[in-house]
Amino acid sequence: MAFSKSLFRNGNQMKKALLIFFVFISNFSMAQDADAVSAPRLPSGTPDFNGLWSGGGPIGDIAGGLMPGEAMVLTEEYAGIKARRLANEDPEANCLPTGVPRIAPYPWRIVQAPAYGPATHLYFLFEGNVHSFRQIFMDGREHPSAEELDPSWYGHSIGWWEGDTLVVDSVGFNDLTWFDFLGNPHSTELHTIERYTRLDNDTLENITTIIDPLAYRQPFTIRYEARLQPADWDLMEYVCNENNQDVEHIEGPARLF
Amino acid sequence: MIHPTVFLKLLLTLTVLLTSFSTAAHHSFAAQYDINKPIILVGKVTKVEWTNPHARIYIDVLDEAGNTLNWNIELGSPNFLKRAGWSRNDLKIADEVTINGSMARSGANMANASSIILKGGRQVFGRNAADNF
Repeated sequence: MAFSKSLFRNGNQMKKALLIFFVFISNFSMAQDADAVSAPRLPSGTPDFNGLWSGGGPIGDIAGGLMPGEAMVLTEEYAGIKARRLANEDPEANCLPTGVPRIAPYPWRIVQAPAYGPATHLYFLFEGNVHSFRQIFMDGREHPSAEELDPSWYGHSIGWWEGDTLVVDSVGFNDLTWFDFLGNPHSTELHTIERYTRLDNDTLENITTIIDPLAYRQPFTIRYEARLQPADWDLMEYVCNENNQDVEHIEGPARLF
Repeated sequence: MIHPTVFLKLLLTLTVLLTSFSTAAHHSFAAQYDINKPIILVGKVTKVEWTNPHARIYIDVLDEAGNTLNWNIELGSPNFLKRAGWSRNDLKIADEVTINGSMARSGANMANASSIILKGGRQVFGRNAADNF
């Protein structure tokens, strides 16, 4: 009693702290109980991924998502590129897109179109790091030839369903994005295969295989989870470049800590 | 009444959760601010920038020699602050506020606020947060 009194001046503060604590705990237990609320389905029969999500990819260190037994082994050339990178060169700090599979710490929305039948297009709408979108072609087309493909920030993505898993295959990236704050690099040869599964109402699993023979000696696979955001949240405006004072004050090599 | 050891566990959990928020921003926190240089600033608001990628407030702070220094305080993005319960009207020119934060590595009068005690005593989180990463 005396102990708790010394921490909280009155009962209300203690109740508030307890409330915050239990809200956190209940969020965790919901995430752990996959059967709590099963993943919704569209009338067309495919899983429904529509919604506002957060997370689902690397932010600080892509190695944190490595699956058991997986390893990132940089080629000599790209180990050198990584070693020379400065924190103020990070495209994200400079208000440029994250690329794939990096995710910005802002919500993003999946839109399956059309809503009334099997999707021919999926859109990932990003609030940050810049307002931008990924477009995933679900209509059965192939990637254009390497000659036709102009390197781009999000690449060219085609997708299909394998059971309840959405598979997204992307090529045609530029080499300007970093995988994380550490500056883990990739080349224009980057080829990503993302496998998205809505494990339950609140959890979207993303297992991504990175194939980039110029930058990595072997492919590697990472796993992240995106969390569904509160139903009353929407995407909001985020114009990163309007007052970016950070870059001139960011110092030293690319790093997390 | 709750047992002291339960309280300790509760506080530890909260601390871990709140600490994990600090790495989320559009730039590497550690490359700009030094978590090992905590600072508490008390001062009057001179300017509010409700802008991206970070909302900023500028406050006049008296140093030990009696000089007034204007500090540039970095907060999360307006979107984060709004979702965390802030309103752009929570900070007004001439309000006295207390900033809990980390100093810039550059030595400039800049800090990143982990929390702010607003005029009236309400404490709010300042930093950007990612729900899950």
